[in-house]
Amino acid sequence: MVSKFSAPLERTARLLDLVPYISSHQGISLKELAKLFKVDESQMTSDLTTLWMCGLPGYTPLELMDLNFESGFVTIHNAETLSKPRSITFDEGVALVLGLDLLRSAISPERKDLLERIDLLSQRLAGLIKLPSALSATSVVNQEVSAAISNALKSRMGLEISYHSLYRDEISTRIILPIEIVESEGQLYLSSYCYTASDFRQFRIDRIQGAAVQEVLQEIPKSSVQQSRYTCTIKVLTPTRAVAERFKQSELQVNTAFDFETYSFQWIERSIMASGRAVCLQSPPDVRKSIAVMAQTMLDRYKAR
Amino acid sequence: MSRKSERLVNLTIALLATKRYLTKTEIFNSVEGYEGTPETKERMFERDKDDLRSLGIDIEVGSFDPLFNDEAGYKIKQEKYQFELGDVSSIEISLLSLAAEAWQEASFGDVAQRALLKLRSIGIPSDELSIPATIHKLNDGGQDLSLITKAIAQSQSLAFPYLDSTLSIKMRSVVPIALSTRNGFWYLSGVDQDNQEIRTFRVDRISSAITASEGPGDFKTPPGFDSSKVPSESPSHDLALIDVRVGKASSLRTLATSTQSLGEWDQITIPILNLDWLCSIVLWHGPDAFVQEPASLRDLVVEHLAALVENHG
Repeated sequence: MVSKFSAPLERTARLLDLVPYISSHQGISLKELAKLFKVDESQMTSDLTTLWMCGLPGYTPLELMDLNFESGFVTIHNAETLSKPRSITFDEGVALVLGLDLLRSAISPERKDLLERIDLLSQRLAGLIKLPSALSATSVVNQEVSAAISNALKSRMGLEISYHSLYRDEISTRIILPIEIVESEGQLYLSSYCYTASDFRQFRIDRIQGAAVQEVLQEIPKSSVQQSRYTCTIKVLTPTRAVAERFKQSELQVNTAFDFETYSFQWIERSIMASGRAVCLQSPPDVRKSIAVMAQTMLDRYKAR
Repeated sequence: MSRKSERLVNLTIALLATKRYLTKTEIFNSVEGYEGTPETKERMFERDKDDLRSLGIDIEVGSFDPLFNDEAGYKIKQEKYQFELGDVSSIEISLLSLAAEAWQEASFGDVAQRALLKLRSIGIPSDELSIPATIHKLNDGGQDLSLITKAIAQSQSLAFPYLDSTLSIKMRSVVPIALSTRNGFWYLSGVDQDNQEIRTFRVDRISSAITASEGPGDFKTPPGFDSSKVPSESPSHDLALIDVRVGKASSLRTLATSTQSLGEWDQITIPILNLDWLCSIVLWHGPDAFVQEPASLRDLVVEHLAALVENHG
């Protein structure tokens, strides 16, 4: 979806879109205009110079667009023909329809007024680009959590969160200073400094069950603990997609082993259990042993029934 | 390069401003930039028409006077050229702006930015802070969402290699009916052309390029399909009864449709969408989860446990 147009066409589209933007933002600075349209200032000056030569047939001062930009601020007159924004393209419509759907899932059900407007807008856009209503985007994040996170990020405040750690299967309360939201492997994480762990941590946003803004010491201690990593060796018995995705391996071959680094033995223990007969942990030996014991205990319970 | 853009803008203005169709001769005589021999002008004009159409500008071809076999004429209709959103309020512009801003500045983000500029050009101020919502960013994950959505709109067929649960790659042929995003993944639902059943695919498991072709002519979207439902590759409605320790097994609990307290344990009911997947979550929770029913799930869990004991003993 990177621009598929040649340079002159790209430019034509920009020129046509500049006219309505300037018409509705008279006096905008050339600098800001360049930034909005993602070109440098000399290109913008050249665009405006070209537009200044355009107009209705005849091309006398009466028919040409009247552009002023010598002062560094741009005004336009005599440009009625082009002053309305161009119709949206199919892709632009798709982006808006999906964005509206995501927005719908983030708005409280009590705001029926807003939800109705979103539905109407979405239908109107879908009509404009002839799209059946078959697109959906939802946010899995709790509305209060997402509001607290964005408040904390905006005001550079700390947060008290209750966080569900998947591999410990525990809900813990932590004080954090959120730094930014990052995306990795399709999941959103809140990259933060965690005062509880005295270290930088990434929290999966969909696992934050509650969040409240809190004052924190803005200074992050320099001597943060270095977390140690462990290496495990895992042998593949049955190559499955679940195993490939869990251990982030692009290729799996029967009876070959791969090394995997982890911060947590608990995580590796649970991951091997969840993989069942598909893999076998070769090292470290103590984790290997604890898996055997756990599996035996569970097996005994099923057999005792 | 500058000449070409200038000519295209002038042509657009001329065709928009005219009330009647303009003939080629009139265009060549009046619109700035058409020079050279008649053949050169002709070629220039043909290319310009194609270029404007590729920018989404619809040029109408019509006849001056239908009674005579006149030369064809051209014009652009204002209502087709303009963004016709109807009457919109400041709140509606704010909602649309937030929708455009939901996209991360990745590839589709550029598209959304262009839409945002057009919204701003309508000239109605927006106040996004008045909308009580914070939304997370959408990302196209490097996927060609445009190709998929076009295929949905036109009931085209999509063919792609798909990584199945045993890690083998099979070609799938699907008429897509829905595209959705949940938990940061994109899901494509459609009618599988091999068995005419509805299937849902996770888009990042499509292992290389998707090709679109003309779909079956008589295609109709199956009634009662709801794209907001949990996706699954092979739907089933059996229920599992699982005991989970109090305060533990949160990820199983989030799947539960009902919970009954048994003191130290809770008994939860989970609809089985995929047996292997559920078995894997049960195993993940180790001694904190115990399957009561159905026998098929118990047997599968026991089989895996026996293998785990054997492989790690």
